[in-house]
Amino acid sequence: MIRQPNVILGNDKILVTMGKKGELFGFFYPRRDYAQHVEESLVCLQTDNRLMWTNNQEWYSTQHYLEDTNMVITELVHGIGIKIKIQDFAHPRASVMVRKYTISAERDISGTFFYYSNFCVGEMQKKNSAFCDPDTGLLAQYWQDNYIGIMASPSFEQWQVGKAMDTIWWTNARYDMEDGKLHNNKEDIGYLNTVVGWDLKIKAGQSKEITVFIGAAPKRTQLHKMMLEIVKEPVNEMFETSRQDWINWLSKKELLKLSLLDDMPETKQQVLEAFNRCLLTLNLLNDPKHGSFVAAPEFDHDFEMCGGYGYCWNRDVSEVAVALLNAGYPEYCEKFFNWCRRTQLSDGSWFQRYWLDGNTAPSWGNFDHSTQIDETGATLHAMYTFYGTLRGLQKVEFLENIWTTVLTGAEYLMRRTTEGLHDPCLDLWESYAGSFAYTSAAVYAGLRAAAFLARAYSEPGLASRWLERAEFVKNKTIEKMWLKEGYFAKCLDDGKLNTTADASMIGTFTPFNMLSPTDPEEREMILSMMKTIEDRLSVSVNGYHGIKRYENDGYIEGNPWIVTTLWLSKAMLNLAISFRNGSVTNTDVPGLVQRALNYIKWALKGTTSTGMLPEQVDKHRGHPAWAIPLGWSCALMIDNILLLESFSEGTHDGKI
Amino acid sequence: MVRDLYMFFKGDEKAHVVWFSIIYKTDMRAEANINSELNEMEVKIRFAYLDNAEPNGQGKYVLFTEVREEAQIDMINKRLLGIDGIIDIESGISRSHMIHSVDFPLNFLGERALITRSRTFVDILKIIREKVIQPDALLLFSGLKGGRGAAKYVRNIIQVDMKNCMAVLRELFLASGWGKLEMDFNKETCTGKVVVRESFIADAYGPSDLPVCGYMSGFIAGYMTEVMGYTFQVREISCKSMGNAVCEHVISPAPEGAKPEHIMKEEIQ
Repeated sequence: MIRQPNVILGNDKILVTMGKKGELFGFFYPRRDYAQHVEESLVCLQTDNRLMWTNNQEWYSTQHYLEDTNMVITELVHGIGIKIKIQDFAHPRASVMVRKYTISAERDISGTFFYYSNFCVGEMQKKNSAFCDPDTGLLAQYWQDNYIGIMASPSFEQWQVGKAMDTIWWTNARYDMEDGKLHNNKEDIGYLNTVVGWDLKIKAGQSKEITVFIGAAPKRTQLHKMMLEIVKEPVNEMFETSRQDWINWLSKKELLKLSLLDDMPETKQQVLEAFNRCLLTLNLLNDPKHGSFVAAPEFDHDFEMCGGYGYCWNRDVSEVAVALLNAGYPEYCEKFFNWCRRTQLSDGSWFQRYWLDGNTAPSWGNFDHSTQIDETGATLHAMYTFYGTLRGLQKVEFLENIWTTVLTGAEYLMRRTTEGLHDPCLDLWESYAGSFAYTSAAVYAGLRAAAFLARAYSEPGLASRWLERAEFVKNKTIEKMWLKEGYFAKCLDDGKLNTTADASMIGTFTPFNMLSPTDPEEREMILSMMKTIEDRLSVSVNGYHGIKRYENDGYIEGNPWIVTTLWLSKAMLNLAISFRNGSVTNTDVPGLVQRALNYIKWALKGTTSTGMLPEQVDKHRGHPAWAIPLGWSCALMIDNILLLESFSEGTHDGKI
Repeated sequence: MVRDLYMFFKGDEKAHVVWFSIIYKTDMRAEANINSELNEMEVKIRFAYLDNAEPNGQGKYVLFTEVREEAQIDMINKRLLGIDGIIDIESGISRSHMIHSVDFPLNFLGERALITRSRTFVDILKIIREKVIQPDALLLFSGLKGGRGAAKYVRNIIQVDMKNCMAVLRELFLASGWGKLEMDFNKETCTGKVVVRESFIADAYGPSDLPVCGYMSGFIAGYMTEVMGYTFQVREISCKSMGNAVCEHVISPAPEGAKPEHIMKEEIQ
């Protein structure tokens, strides 16, 4: 079932996605991409002879992050005078989610507090097994080497291990809850659901606290040991330690002044919060063990409406890693490029997408004609960007470590560009076949990056060869795909030009710098592309304009995307910086910055209530749409904010 | 709104076929007074039906008749509106001379309902069986929910207890077109058997090695459980789709501790 989260949390061991009412949508362990163990996991109250599921529309909810952390506060209010506050966070060290519930009431309440779960441990609906050990207060469900356990403080008083879908319907935990009393069945197998319960008696004006711990471990003994230790720890200490850990992690970031926005304090605050939120989000999307990132926490496990997002794409992560690098977190680049070294295919390219552990993921790009050549170019480009920031021994070691990868990657690009334009392949949107300006630009950038690394590696012959090819790619792309109307065609397929306007053409300027703003002719090309994108792809939503991917885009309503919009704003800011630093006169730098800022504001208006940046914004309602949160969107937001910051630095006038 | 559907009327071709949809209070004998008034006006009813189970103590009386002059329609409306307990009247002319047997939107047991061919239902059921894990349980759960909902709704309208619950269930099955029920239920032991003749599922399903009316078992279990306040297990032990003359569902209290899927398999054998 497709369920888009409103918020995520986790630590280096678990990743959790939740809805607006604190209901779990996903619980990923041991990796961010696998396995997702939860179908449902939430609280339900039984009072006045009825069940009150907390994800029901009767509950009004608010949800936000605790400032500068990945800890979530959800407040639920019911019209009959019940309020539930949930503090959700991951334990600072263990693979445990902590859910502290504070239930308060305006009138006397008598009933049962249930914590219900439908776990599909190991992503398996069948062959699960669950048991409750009332002596230790642990309810656990497992499949192979995946154990998910629930403990609580105070310990639960009743429980049910039931069949979620079976003809013996009365054992189903959902039905068992109806009278407020559970059957305390200790164990069962199959497709299961479970519930634990506490008597709930609250006097008007009083409150009750219950903390639920959801832990994951590879073995039964490990789960037992971990949960028994955790449940003894004071929850407030866990909370405070976790909060401090996040604040410490965030303190490593580039400090922003954003004096450019001093006259717009509300916007400035929003931008600063977005910067922090994007960094914190990327932390959670990163696999700390392998160094890769999921594009987004998976929400379409069955590929019902798309091919899924819980995988690592080199294209996205190249931009993510560089954004983190620029924001003050170089360690992600190093780990990611090590991962790239390990996952590179024998022909020198990278696969369409990977599982985080480096295995190839489900793909529709298994052949030369269906691969995405831009991913190889983007990876080499990002490697060189990282290399440029290194100093001394680190620089030498990195080059030594990565050289073979660069060599084989560049030679792959050489083989695929013998005619200048790259061989037919799939585009970055994974939908069209042919040759593309964006892909060409990625190839150009990849070959140049490889060439500069070759020079550093004392391989001038290779460097010249690759640089020469890069120029050939650029010239052929302009010759074959630049239209007299002033933009790049979307695609050249079998000799035919598709003249649809596609926002990814801006990739020829940013991030791949195939076109230079210092060259007058190319500068005009950049300006002309921007105009085309704004004229033909702009969508009015939320009082501002977002940019959709291309004309007649049919994917998920053809909504405007955060990435395409922030590409455009990033291009504007880069251009403005170029104008500011260069010799071009009479150019409207403040105007460019203001236009870019409007696009950034548009992106900020499309976030979830907790500040999660989505992939898209619903063009009709202005809501965040589809993949939430999308790492690529976060990267572009970070890039844009750092460019805004550059207008606040040094002696430059910070005002727009 | 009453829509033209189903039956073509072959009466006086020069007359208009007119429908009236009359909303009335159910506690004021309005139904009888409507009939008296229509008699007095010499309005001949060609087809009509009553639904006394509309929400908020209301009923709906839909009738079709013939009218030579359009002006008569206003007169009939006016006189009917004068009857105590009449809340509202809609009327219209069926230009295609069609009389339809249901209202639009159709309501059943207080909810929007639709008419579907049993083949369509069974097609869905077969796809579930092919594609979904635990299909029998899924269908049973679906029926269970329906049965509980039906019992709750009916209990809001009339008193349903141990004495009449089976009779009401029989009427529900008939009204839904699901089949004809014969029941043998021991109130002391809460055990018994429900025979379903002409089960719409079994009739449309075709030959099968296993019972196919689990949805009905679930419905009966949900209905009984809700009415009796006691957890029932209902299992179909023989089915028309298996070559039997009728479908048989066994009712028993839900067992404690046992794994009833084993019991079920034994009984089938």
